[in-house]
Amino acid sequence: MQTRTLRSKLTIGLTIAALIGFAVAAVAQNTGKSLIGKLEGPEVVTDAAKAPKTFKEAPQLAELVKQGKLPAVAERIGQDPLVIKPLNEVGRYGGTWRGGFTGPADFWNGFRCCQGPDHLMFWDYTGDRVMPNIAKGLEMQDGGRAWLVHLRRGMKWSDGKPFTADDFAFWFEDIYRNKDLVPTPSAQMAINGKQGVIEKVDTNTVRFKFPEPYFMLPDVLAGSTDLAGQGFAYRGMGGFAPAHYLKQFHPKYVGQAELDKKTKEAKFDSWVRMFLFKNDWALNPELPVLSPWKTATPINTPTWTLERNPYSVFVDTAGNQLPYIDRVVLTLAENLEVLNLRAIAGEYDFQQRHLDLGKLPVFLENQAKGNYKVYLDPGDYGGDMIIKFNLNYDADPEIAKWYNTADFRRALALGIDRDQINETFWLGTGTPSSVVPADNNKYNPGPQYRKMWATLDVKKANEMLDKIGLAKKDAEGYRLRSDGKGRLRIEIMTLGGQFVQFTQIAEMIREQWKKIGIDLVVQEVERSLALKRTAANEQQLGAWNNDGSEHLFTFPLHVFPFELAAVASSGPLYVKWFLSAGAQGKEPEPRMRELMDKWKKAFGVPEKERIQLGKDVWKIAAEEVYIIGVIGMGPASMGVRVVKNNMGNIPSRQYNSPDGKTPGISRPITFYWKN
Amino acid sequence: MLAYIGRRALLAVFTVWAISMLAFAIIQLPPGDYVTSYIAQMASMGSVVTDEEAQNLRIQYGLGQPIYVQYWKWMKQIGDGNFGFSMEWRRPVTEVIGERLWLTVVVAVSALLLTWVLALPIGIYSAVRQYSIGDYTATFVGFIGLAVPNFLLALVLLYLGFTMFNAHIGGLFSPELQDAPWSWARVWDLLKHLPIPALILGLAGTAQQIRIMRANLLDELGKPYVVTARSKGLPETRVIVKYPVRMALNPFASTIGYTLPYIVSGSIIVSLVLGLPTVGPLLLRALISQDMFLAGTIVLLLGIMTVIGTLISDIVLVWIDPRIRLEDT
Repeated sequence: MQTRTLRSKLTIGLTIAALIGFAVAAVAQNTGKSLIGKLEGPEVVTDAAKAPKTFKEAPQLAELVKQGKLPAVAERIGQDPLVIKPLNEVGRYGGTWRGGFTGPADFWNGFRCCQGPDHLMFWDYTGDRVMPNIAKGLEMQDGGRAWLVHLRRGMKWSDGKPFTADDFAFWFEDIYRNKDLVPTPSAQMAINGKQGVIEKVDTNTVRFKFPEPYFMLPDVLAGSTDLAGQGFAYRGMGGFAPAHYLKQFHPKYVGQAELDKKTKEAKFDSWVRMFLFKNDWALNPELPVLSPWKTATPINTPTWTLERNPYSVFVDTAGNQLPYIDRVVLTLAENLEVLNLRAIAGEYDFQQRHLDLGKLPVFLENQAKGNYKVYLDPGDYGGDMIIKFNLNYDADPEIAKWYNTADFRRALALGIDRDQINETFWLGTGTPSSVVPADNNKYNPGPQYRKMWATLDVKKANEMLDKIGLAKKDAEGYRLRSDGKGRLRIEIMTLGGQFVQFTQIAEMIREQWKKIGIDLVVQEVERSLALKRTAANEQQLGAWNNDGSEHLFTFPLHVFPFELAAVASSGPLYVKWFLSAGAQGKEPEPRMRELMDKWKKAFGVPEKERIQLGKDVWKIAAEEVYIIGVIGMGPASMGVRVVKNNMGNIPSRQYNSPDGKTPGISRPITFYWKN
Repeated sequence: MLAYIGRRALLAVFTVWAISMLAFAIIQLPPGDYVTSYIAQMASMGSVVTDEEAQNLRIQYGLGQPIYVQYWKWMKQIGDGNFGFSMEWRRPVTEVIGERLWLTVVVAVSALLLTWVLALPIGIYSAVRQYSIGDYTATFVGFIGLAVPNFLLALVLLYLGFTMFNAHIGGLFSPELQDAPWSWARVWDLLKHLPIPALILGLAGTAQQIRIMRANLLDELGKPYVVTARSKGLPETRVIVKYPVRMALNPFASTIGYTLPYIVSGSIIVSLVLGLPTVGPLLLRALISQDMFLAGTIVLLLGIMTVIGTLISDIVLVWIDPRIRLEDT
């Protein structure tokens, strides 16, 4: 026992878990699809005439008002409330929402459930339309070169201080433009590489100004980007920040000497670390926020608690200040197994993050006992699993040549039996697909692209491989390299412990590719190592998913080589070329270049033209197969949802997307306890 | 005797210092550093961390300096009772480890006590009644206990606890008492949660100790001094407990040294499975995210525990076995 290593213990455990998994999988295969309901959700009411004129509040806040400790509710909300029409009915106040989280790195957990969201603009429940949110409205000026942001009159921070245009000016001048706090300007604050500015017009109006038309700005404000509210404040982003609070930690306002003293007293290494800590939504309970719930006990303790913000600007159609639920309590789970088991035991009220699709049968079996219901929320992106070819791989010229041969990539894509993978790992709930997003996505190029190079056709694949010069095979039936150095052996890098079992699926693909004479080596690596390898251009094939790509322009990293820090890359040298506007790296091949150019161009053109460009981007991606799509539109990534039966206003299906901060897109502030 | 203990204690201090250096060096071995793992984390959530930003972070955390400089800084801090700042938890290391350390000790000590309470009598019984039904049963159960991986047992017990007794899943406290200040209710709650982890952690050790006790005692039982004692008419219990058992206890004492750290580090997987808020899972996570000071401090603590354990077992050995005392002085 003692001599057995940690690794082998884990392996045994995983093997046993996998065996149990396969056994129950067979039972549940057909129940999966029936758990997918109709897409629905609450709506933002933008018509001022329909807004409630009088307001109600939670009983404990009313009590505080009576004691004179809080101003009246109408005064706290201001003149322009953000009105949300709940999905089914107006709810009632009270109760606690229990969930699980996995530690300080899991801050997205709270951003997604409880931040409101606090973006200036945000998506409607379909994830398609951009609606006003914290901002009352956006007004385009000067042909898209400037945007006026109208703020809500009388809106306040959670400490009761006014939220005004000064908070934008402070963020832009003193945080964003401070090289210590934000060393690299955001690409999202720029159009065609040229940075924009933010300026105050009057108390309730802000102007975003750019050197060239920036038609994409509303989407950028709505998406999970650098300009999207306090969720990104921990790295100095967000678009606005509570000036009145943060000035005490900024050298410009207190002086460097005084600040250094403060930093030392608070035991921080530098004032920058202290400032970013104080500006962290999940870590600092004192930080004034705009979100409907605010951190009460921080994320680096065993229980991350959030409680209602008395100055929340959100109200329902009856004038009740939202949220309905008083507190959100997220308890630390030491590992995902414990978290899943707690969900199965009914210890969570609404949990979506970290739930494992492979355990679906067990979730279903315990529904009655745990008093919960299971929902599936498939994503709208084309790949729960994708395989990226590193087009810049250069350690082995022979292999590099094949990765840059379109027919080689296409043949490999045709050699995958997606149905087998779907049944085994997705319990039949996914869709065999190329990389393109769901049919109803506005950038979907057309139905013929779903199955393009994404069906099983061993005969055709073999013919294509024969034709490009890989006809010779060895005794075992594997194809030989064209340079005479033996068998053509290619490698795929996978990561373990993810929502999708990449390694196991890759092993299955390895078996399937034997039929087309391709010898695949599966290498599971640890995350930091994967990152190092991709950055050093040592990766060949890489497995990952393309979640987020349903929002092509705000989340492009799995569409083309867009960022260096990736666990699977289509080409690190192309990334450098793209980010440096051609100064470094390697110029992409013509079609990839065309794809990149179209993507870039879309930011500066009106929506209609942009949609066409988006379609073109996906067309090229599907035709060229830079990335193989395996299974898509499945619920594997955060698409399994367990909700208590007596929770109200729960949508039967939600738009599942990182850009939509799901479940944020369903506005959890409207969830309530029926009894 | 005092000189003996003094010498041992001095050696222990030197060992701890060597361990601290080793601990720090080992943590640097894997590729990348905390910033790399932070970038990976950001990337998986769709955020881009640029090279400049990463460089800035490295400067802020002091990761760019040579390893001996970092080590020296860490040592200086420890001198002031400050074990550094956990990069992932963004709190001082001492705070992060804080309560977890005491809970770890509680779990470890109860597992150790359980091991002894079970292993001693059973071991004696199976030696004295060799080849009886009781001996065979104990042997059978003992080998099963040795062979079953304890994390698997933990999974099974968790599942049974949930399906049959509706027990709370994982952890050492009920949800409502998780963050409560210490009170009798909370202590009682802890005691209620303790038996399962203690049993699981202690089981493999118990099986092992039963076998050792049995084998050692069997060696002693046939020796002339036992026969002499018996022939002089001493009652059977006294014959066995007074002499051969005392001799057979030696291995128990000498294993204290590595039992302590084993229960802490060997319990990582069990603690993970059971969701115990102990140091084990913290160490695993710190190693994965390359949270240097946190991982370093825990490894250092494990080292200190081993050293203290060895010291204790040295002293206990001297105490129970006069022969060692004589050899040494």
